Amino acid sequence: MTDVKSDKTASGWSRRDVLKGASVGAVGAATPMFFTKNAWAEEAIGNYPVKGSEVVFGFNVPQTGAYADEGADELRAYKLAVKHLNGGGGMLDTLKPSKLTGNGVLGKKVTYVTGDTQTNADASRTSARRMIERDKVIMVTGGSSSGIAIAQQYLCHELGIIFMCGLTHSNDTTGKDKRRYGFRHFFNAHMTGKALAPVLSNEYGSDRRAFHLTADYNWGHTQQQSMQQFTEAEGWSTAGNILTPLKTTDFSQYLAQVMNSDADVLVLNHYGANMVNSLTNAVNFGMRDMQKNGKNLEIVVPLYSRLMAAGAGSANIDGVLGTSGWNWSLQDDGSKAFVDSFVAEYGFPPSQAAHTCYVQTLLYANACEMAGTFYPPAVIKALEDFEFTGAGNGSTLYRGADHQCIKSMLVMQGNSPSARTSDFDYLKVVQEVDRETANYDPSIFPGELGPYKPA
Amino acid sequence: MNTQQSFFERNRAVIIFAIIALLMPLWFPLIGGYQGLDTKIMIMCILVVGFDLLLGYTGYLSFGHAAFFGIAAYTTGIMLKDFSGQVIPAIVVAVVLSTLVSVVIGLLTLKRTGIYFSILTLAFAEMFHAMAMAMLQEWTGGENGLTGMMTPMLGSIKMQGAVVFYFSAIIAIVMFYLAKRIERSPVGLMMRAIKCNQTRLEYTGINARKYKLLTFIISAFYAAIAGALMVVYEPFVGHEFLGWHQSGEFVLMSVIGGVGTLVGPMLGAGFMLYFENVLSADIGEHWLLFLGIIFMAVVIFMPGGFMEAISRLQARFNNK
Repeated sequence: MTDVKSDKTASGWSRRDVLKGASVGAVGAATPMFFTKNAWAEEAIGNYPVKGSEVVFGFNVPQTGAYADEGADELRAYKLAVKHLNGGGGMLDTLKPSKLTGNGVLGKKVTYVTGDTQTNADASRTSARRMIERDKVIMVTGGSSSGIAIAQQYLCHELGIIFMCGLTHSNDTTGKDKRRYGFRHFFNAHMTGKALAPVLSNEYGSDRRAFHLTADYNWGHTQQQSMQQFTEAEGWSTAGNILTPLKTTDFSQYLAQVMNSDADVLVLNHYGANMVNSLTNAVNFGMRDMQKNGKNLEIVVPLYSRLMAAGAGSANIDGVLGTSGWNWSLQDDGSKAFVDSFVAEYGFPPSQAAHTCYVQTLLYANACEMAGTFYPPAVIKALEDFEFTGAGNGSTLYRGADHQCIKSMLVMQGNSPSARTSDFDYLKVVQEVDRETANYDPSIFPGELGPYKPA
Repeated sequence: MNTQQSFFERNRAVIIFAIIALLMPLWFPLIGGYQGLDTKIMIMCILVVGFDLLLGYTGYLSFGHAAFFGIAAYTTGIMLKDFSGQVIPAIVVAVVLSTLVSVVIGLLTLKRTGIYFSILTLAFAEMFHAMAMAMLQEWTGGENGLTGMMTPMLGSIKMQGAVVFYFSAIIAIVMFYLAKRIERSPVGLMMRAIKCNQTRLEYTGINARKYKLLTFIISAFYAAIAGALMVVYEPFVGHEFLGWHQSGEFVLMSVIGGVGTLVGPMLGAGFMLYFENVLSADIGEHWLLFLGIIFMAVVIFMPGGFMEAISRLQARFNNK
C-alpha cells in the first residue's frame, strides 16, 4: 500500500488529489446554501432566475412594414397591460381566477423593452434574441402574422423563454409547429371554419356551391382547407380553388374564372391588403349584384379585422360575413374594463390584435403569480389547462395539449355606411358562437410540444 | 514585387481583422451588442467580402445574391432536418449546390452589363423566392419558414452560442484572407481591368467573359458559405432569405462601407446590423428613417463610404 502511494506521488497524482479534496470540501461547505437559498433548487433556464427588483417583458411587434398599424395597436395594448400590472385597473378587476395584485409581478416591478419584427421572420428572431441575450427578458410576446410567430416560437423554445403569441391565425402555430414554450390566445383557421360554416348555411341555404380564392401561403392554405371541410359538412359543394400569389394586387383574372363557373358563393381566404384588393375588385365587377343558380352571389371573408374592413370601405363590406376573435363593442365586464381604460389612455377603441396581446400579457403575469415563481416549467404548467373568465369572450380554456385557447368566437358582418356610427364601427357582431361549437380535438393536427426543459 | 514584404506586412489587414473579430465577445457587449448578433455580423462579413469582389472590383452590381444565400440556407436546413445534425456535410452540399446554380445564372446573366445585369439577377432571385413560397412549399415550409431541424453538431460539439461564433469568425478570417489573395492575384488584376474598360481588355486578346464568370462564381461561393452558416447559427430558414430585400441589404452594406475596399463592406455590414438591432431599439419606430438619412448622407457627401471617411481623416492627420 505504501509503495503504491509513493508511486502516485512520484507520478504527480498528489496534486490532483489535493485539488479533488479541495473541490469536495468547497462543495461541502456550500451545501447549506443549496438548501437555504430556495432559488437554487431550480436550475437556471433562459433568463431565470430574475435578478434585481424589476422583471423585463419583451414586446416584439411589427413597427415597420405591411402590418405596422396592427403592430402599433399591439404596442399600445402592451404598454397599457404593464401600467395595469404595476398600478392596477383594467382587466385586473375582472379576470378570474386571478392572483394579480396590481403591484408588479411576484413583488417585482414590470418593465419592458420593444423590438421591430419588420414582418420578417429573420429580423424578428434577431430582435427577439437581442431582448433575450442583452435585455434579459423573462418572456417575449408579439407578432402579427403566423410565419413570424412560428419563427419566434421555435427560437424561444430553444432558449427557454416563454413566447406569448400575438395575432396569428394559422392552424400550424398550435398545430404542426406547436412548442412547449409557445402559447396562443387568438383563435385559428380551423375554429373559423367550424364557427362560420353553420352560420353560412343558415343564412344562405345548405345547397350552395363555393369557389375559393386563396392567398398562396401557409395561412391561406390552412384557412381554405378548414372552410372547405366545414362548408362541405353543411352540404355545400366546392366548385374550385385558385391559389393567388401573395403579391397580387389585381384579382380580375381570378374573379373572371369565378364568374364563369357555376359557383354562387365566393370565399376570399385573404388577409390584409390582399383581402382589401380582392373584395374591392369583386365589388367593381358587380359580383355582389349577380345572380347564380337562381340565388344571389354571396361573398365571404373568413377572417375579418377592423383595419381590413376600414381599408375595403363600408359600402363594399356591407353585409359580408366573417369571423373575429373579439370586438370592442362586446358588453361583458372584462371587455368593458379593457375598452374603457384603452379609450381613456389613447382616445379610441382597441383592435382585436390589441385585445389578444393585452390578455396574453396578463395571463402570463397571472401564471407567474399562481406558480409563485418565474421558473419557466412551473409557469408553463400553471398556464396549461388554465380556465378563466373576465377577459372577454366568456369562459376560456388554455388547452394543455396544444397551448391553444378555446373560447367563444364572433361571427361578424360588415356594417352599411348608414348604420355606421363611428370610424371604428365597421363591423357588427351577428352571432357569438359558443366555446363548445368552436372546440376541436387537438390530435387532428400533427406536431409535438416538446420537453418542459429546453435541450 | 511583394517578395520583399514579410508575411505580416502583406497581411496586415487580415491580422487586424482577426484580432478584432476574435476579441469581439469581449468588446462588443460594452457598446450594447450581445451574443448572437456578433455571430450574424461575422456571417454577413463573409458575404459582403465576396459581394465586393463582384461589385467593387469587377463593377457588376448583382441584385440577386439572396438567391445563393437562400439556396445554401435551404439546402443546409433540409440536410440538417432529414439527413443528419452534422454541419460539415450539410455546409459542403449546400455550398456545392448553390455554386452550381451560380454557374448557370452567371452564364445567362453576364451577357449583359449595367442595369440589365442587375435586373436579370434580380429576376432570377425572385424566381427562386416565388418557388420557395409556392411550388416547393412542401420542402421549404413556405411562409412559415423551414423549422424542426436537429441540433447542429460539429463532431460531438453542439453548435450553440460561443462555439458558433468562433466557428463563423474563423471562417470569416480565412475567407477574408482568400479575398485578399485574390485581390493581389492575376485574376484580381483582370477584375479591375474589366471594371476599368472591358472593351479595351477584350481587344488585347483576353477572354473577359471567363474572368467575369469566375468572379461571379467566387462571389456566389462566398454568399453560399454565409447562407449555410446562417442556418448553423440558428436552425431556421425564412423565405426572406431569398427575397429582394435581402439582396438590397447586401448592396446597402457594401455601399455604406465603401465598395472596392473589402474592409469597407465589412464595416458596413457591422454598422447595418448594429444599427438595425441595437440603435433601432433606442430610436423607436422611426429607425428606418434615420437609416435612410445616414445612407443618403453617405452617398452624397462620402461616395466612398466609411472607408473614404477614414482615409480623409488619415490625410488630415498626416498633413499636420
